[in-house]
Amino acid sequence: MRSIIILLAAVLIANSALAEPVGKPIPIGIAVGQTTNVALFGEEQVNGAKVAEKLLNEKGGIAGTPIKLMFQDTGGDEAGAINAFQNLISRDKVVAIVGPTLSQQAFAANPIANQAQVPVVGPSNTAKGIADIGEYVSRISAPMTLVAPNSLKRALKMNPAIKNVAVVYAQDDAFNVSETGIFQEAIKELGLNIALIQKTSVKDTDFTTQITAILGANVDMVVMSCLAADGGNMVKQLRQLGFEGTIVGGNGFNSPNMYPVCGKLCTGVIVAQAYSPKAENAENQAFAAAFKDMFKKDPAQFSAQAYTAVKVIVDALNEVQASGKDVAGMDLAELHQNLNKALVASSYETPLGEIVLDQNGEVTQKTFYVSQIKVSDDGKTGAMELLPE
Amino acid sequence: MSAFFDQYGFLMVAIVQQALLGMSLWYPLMAGQLSLASIGFYSLGGYIAAIMGTNPWFAPWREALGPAIYPLQWLIALIVSALIGLAVGIPALRLRGIYLALATIAFVQVLNVLVLITDVTGGAVGLFGIPQPFVSRLGYIWFFGPLLVLALIFSARLTRTVAGRSFMAIRDDELAAQAMGISTTFEKVRAFVIGCALAGVTGAMSAPFLNTWNARQSSFDASVACLAYVLIGGARSIWGPLLGAALLVALPEVLRPLKDARLIMNGVVLVVACIYLPQGLAGLLASLRRPGKEAGHA
Repeated sequence: MRSIIILLAAVLIANSALAEPVGKPIPIGIAVGQTTNVALFGEEQVNGAKVAEKLLNEKGGIAGTPIKLMFQDTGGDEAGAINAFQNLISRDKVVAIVGPTLSQQAFAANPIANQAQVPVVGPSNTAKGIADIGEYVSRISAPMTLVAPNSLKRALKMNPAIKNVAVVYAQDDAFNVSETGIFQEAIKELGLNIALIQKTSVKDTDFTTQITAILGANVDMVVMSCLAADGGNMVKQLRQLGFEGTIVGGNGFNSPNMYPVCGKLCTGVIVAQAYSPKAENAENQAFAAAFKDMFKKDPAQFSAQAYTAVKVIVDALNEVQASGKDVAGMDLAELHQNLNKALVASSYETPLGEIVLDQNGEVTQKTFYVSQIKVSDDGKTGAMELLPE
Repeated sequence: MSAFFDQYGFLMVAIVQQALLGMSLWYPLMAGQLSLASIGFYSLGGYIAAIMGTNPWFAPWREALGPAIYPLQWLIALIVSALIGLAVGIPALRLRGIYLALATIAFVQVLNVLVLITDVTGGAVGLFGIPQPFVSRLGYIWFFGPLLVLALIFSARLTRTVAGRSFMAIRDDELAAQAMGISTTFEKVRAFVIGCALAGVTGAMSAPFLNTWNARQSSFDASVACLAYVLIGGARSIWGPLLGAALLVALPEVLRPLKDARLIMNGVVLVVACIYLPQGLAGLLASLRRPGKEAGHA
């Protein structure tokens, strides 16, 4: 019995002391929700990451060594995210992780990676406090503080008579709750009157109660922070029940999944966007063309953000390489530390425009967009047309 | 070996944690009562631990108590859950039939809305940065493991006491049990409250385990999953919830190499288990041990 224990202890010690080389091709983990109700976003993220793998490897990867993406499904819950992270860290031995999809999942899983000293880049986590989880946690997804006021100003420019505003938000969704706070502040700053606030759920399909209240308050504009499916339904029902004023949607509307839900009734809705496939920077044009080539449609925001997250990691790996170290020949733990140092306090050219990660891993995005939805005659496809500044 | 524990440590503890949630439904089921409340008390217990762990108001408590704050969280979760369990259970359990299931679904919904509109719970984002008593996820076995052992011993003893036998009498025939002089409402409430208290303590242990706590912990899907642990594992054996949780929690993870096909396989196993194992996994094991004897019941 004692000899078994000693043997076990020896194995444990030997294992932990063993230096782990970096795998070839260089493995980068993608842990997003490919199943459950998060899959709508997760699929877009997977597509964006795949384009990144192809494009960045064509550019030579890291000094000739290609990267390889390792996908682990997180599902929609916290436990799934932790499991996916542990698989990427212990089995796939990745150099960094892109994920998870939801902020709540990030609060659960990122501390695990931080403890294992594996850099994490959040592709779509917008809640306050993500970058504060730890030294090894960064994100490329900016909160909507700048774009929300812009979209309201655009709406006012199109219709200066707007005075009374109704605010709608999905109270069970973290992103929309924080976004509506920004919207409400911006509305007050523009000197408009918030006539009423209506709460919905991302699971709702019938909005008659809220719409009756909105119509009764006689407002000129409705500002909505909802996701694509519920928001699309609400826009449809608002129009069907006779609302004729301006509708401004938050970033949750920034998805092609809107069009089939509300059809032609979506046309004219103003959307605040963190990303537009029509943005004119060179990085985005290369990305959007490659994406269209691969998936026969325009990239959505979640795809662009996933691409950006992978690109930020590859850029940082190249920076490590440029500092005179051979990334492919390094010890994995050493690379984790070097990579994390290279990741933060740098700026990157990405499809989202120029972004800057500060020392803490928090992102600042320079450019945001305001677009107007235009649904084509078949009622199923459409486009977000950029509104000029 | 250590790589194995790194990779599957969280999963192993998660099995024990989910088994405890299954057990909390097992007690009311023992008295023939279908409850979906466990996930609500799990959520409640988690919030108690998360608030006590992160809210600045409790900072002096955390400093004064050190690691002793954890047992205090469990105790408070236990008391609050038992009291609310009483309040929900008494009106619902005076009636016969499915009213407990309905009342408990409603309770979970009400709790979720309350959580979303209250500031102290962090709203939709929830609470995060919960202090950690252990460095590795596997360490949490020292929380959940002893609780599971206690719950199993308690269950095994319970089946031999008057209370346990009353529960089973009510399950088999409520009218007959009443005629025998059993106070059916009292016993049903007792079984329900035991379950609520266990779910509350499990929740209080789970908040640090998951690092974060939010309203998504008590979704309807999660309450159905808890019920599935008991039904797939076997509602008539004390080992049922553990076996069911082990199968249902581990399967999607063990099947991870199958990529997209893993959830299909998971579904196939569930359907097969429902059709061929009416007594659950525990029933299957029992009939393997005593061939012939159990076959008639299955």
